[in-house]
Amino acid sequence: MEYTPEVVRRFDSPPRAGELQAGLPGLVSGEAEDRTLQVWVRFQLQVIDGVVRAARFAAFGCPHTVAAASRAAERLEGGLVSNVARLDMRAIELELGVPVEKRGKLLRIEDALAACAAPRTGK
Amino acid sequence: MSAEIYLDYAATSPLDPAVTAAMSDCLAREFGNPSSQHPAGKRARALVETARAEVAARVGAAPERIFFTSGATEANNLALKGALARRGERAHLVTSTIEHRSVLDAARALEEGGVAVTYVPADALGRVAPDDVARALRADTALVSIMHVNNETGVVQDIAAIGALCRARGIPLHVDAAQSVGKVPLDLGASAVALCSLTAHKVCGPKGVGALYVAAGVSLAPQMHGGEQEHGLRAGTLATHQVVGMGKAYALADAAREGPRLAALRDALWRRLAAIPGARPNGDPDRRAPHVLNVTFPGVEGESLRLALRDLAVSAGSACAADSPEASHVLTGMGLTDVLAASSLRFSVGRFTTEAEIDRAAERVAAEVGRLRALGAGAPEWCGAEALPRSKDLR
Repeated sequence: MEYTPEVVRRFDSPPRAGELQAGLPGLVSGEAEDRTLQVWVRFQLQVIDGVVRAARFAAFGCPHTVAAASRAAERLEGGLVSNVARLDMRAIELELGVPVEKRGKLLRIEDALAACAAPRTGK
Repeated sequence: MSAEIYLDYAATSPLDPAVTAAMSDCLAREFGNPSSQHPAGKRARALVETARAEVAARVGAAPERIFFTSGATEANNLALKGALARRGERAHLVTSTIEHRSVLDAARALEEGGVAVTYVPADALGRVAPDDVARALRADTALVSIMHVNNETGVVQDIAAIGALCRARGIPLHVDAAQSVGKVPLDLGASAVALCSLTAHKVCGPKGVGALYVAAGVSLAPQMHGGEQEHGLRAGTLATHQVVGMGKAYALADAAREGPRLAALRDALWRRLAAIPGARPNGDPDRRAPHVLNVTFPGVEGESLRLALRDLAVSAGSACAADSPEASHVLTGMGLTDVLAASSLRFSVGRFTTEAEIDRAAERVAAEVGRLRALGAGAPEWCGAEALPRSKDLR
């Protein structure tokens, strides 16, 4: 498997990896998994006044999954929570050079973000 | 990123300088065809026969029972297809589920041609029970093929017991011994083994050369046609320098001398890795070749583990396809889940492995397993989450 330098950089030291402190106001989370693809992703967002103030992720998955989740968390910060489920994962896929055969794993990232956003969308 | 540490001797090994010298000398001086009758050919023939004697001596065989091939894969194909071809479509083959692909794929090709094949499973420790082999035998069984040392786990199968039960029923036993030479004793002449596949490149010899031991009285149909080389069993001009390299490698590969050192290195590595929570070795610890250590690290995704440890030359416990990971058939055959099989690594030490490399490798594995587990903190049980440490922010 070949990896772009950006995937390797994010895999070696992934920005936004980890957890937000329990009890923070406006904390929401969502996760998704696919055992067949051996991938699990969880996002935690701190949402205040409809804006994502902080985002963190955890992942059991391949390097592309880790890198894409890291980039997704970065992109979410500062944006409207109503846009979380509409994050353009295709753009991240292209930006990171994720091979098409990994698209199924990136779909789990979308699922986790959708789960994150579900309780707040429309509020 | 530090310099690569090579711990993949079960995949292949660097040439011993003495082998390089012998091969270089041959390449520089002796270009003759060993089948030619003129002096150049006769000199090449003499080198081939010296190498044949060196190989034979290492495995306890008579030189005339050694037939050179391009490697163990060809030897395995020649053994299975050559033995079954003489018996026709109604023949039956017994092998195990944990064989090397060169045996399993040859068996499947024979199945497509009408040969019946029974695949004997291994137990949780990677052992193929002789009793299970005995139960698989039929009146029309023409060959049993069981490997000696498993290439993924290092487990040494009980070839003596399997050979005895085959001999009692008059069934030839083929043994893939690609991982054995220089690691565990082989005395084919005193065994019940009828056919044995050998290779050079696992013992600091060259790639592209191997051999098949064929016991006296065992009949094989050639699978390569086009000449009378190797007494008509394997057509094609012998690569004299490769054969010379194999002979030299086998002359140097003394299990009694090297085995204890390799076992000490392997055990030192395991002592260090055992400190990683949840790490567990695969394979019967009482029946393992000295050079292989296969370890599962629960809670770590396999592809990520391999990229994280790219400064270590080690092998995965699985062949990972990008979107649908294909788990190691050996480890899943021993009962591991696909996820745990993918979370496994095979470390294999060899002649040039140092204690410092073992220490450094263990440090790197511990660090990366810890990092990746923290990255997946909170993952569900199927990821091996029972071994995960308490979550923390990695930033």
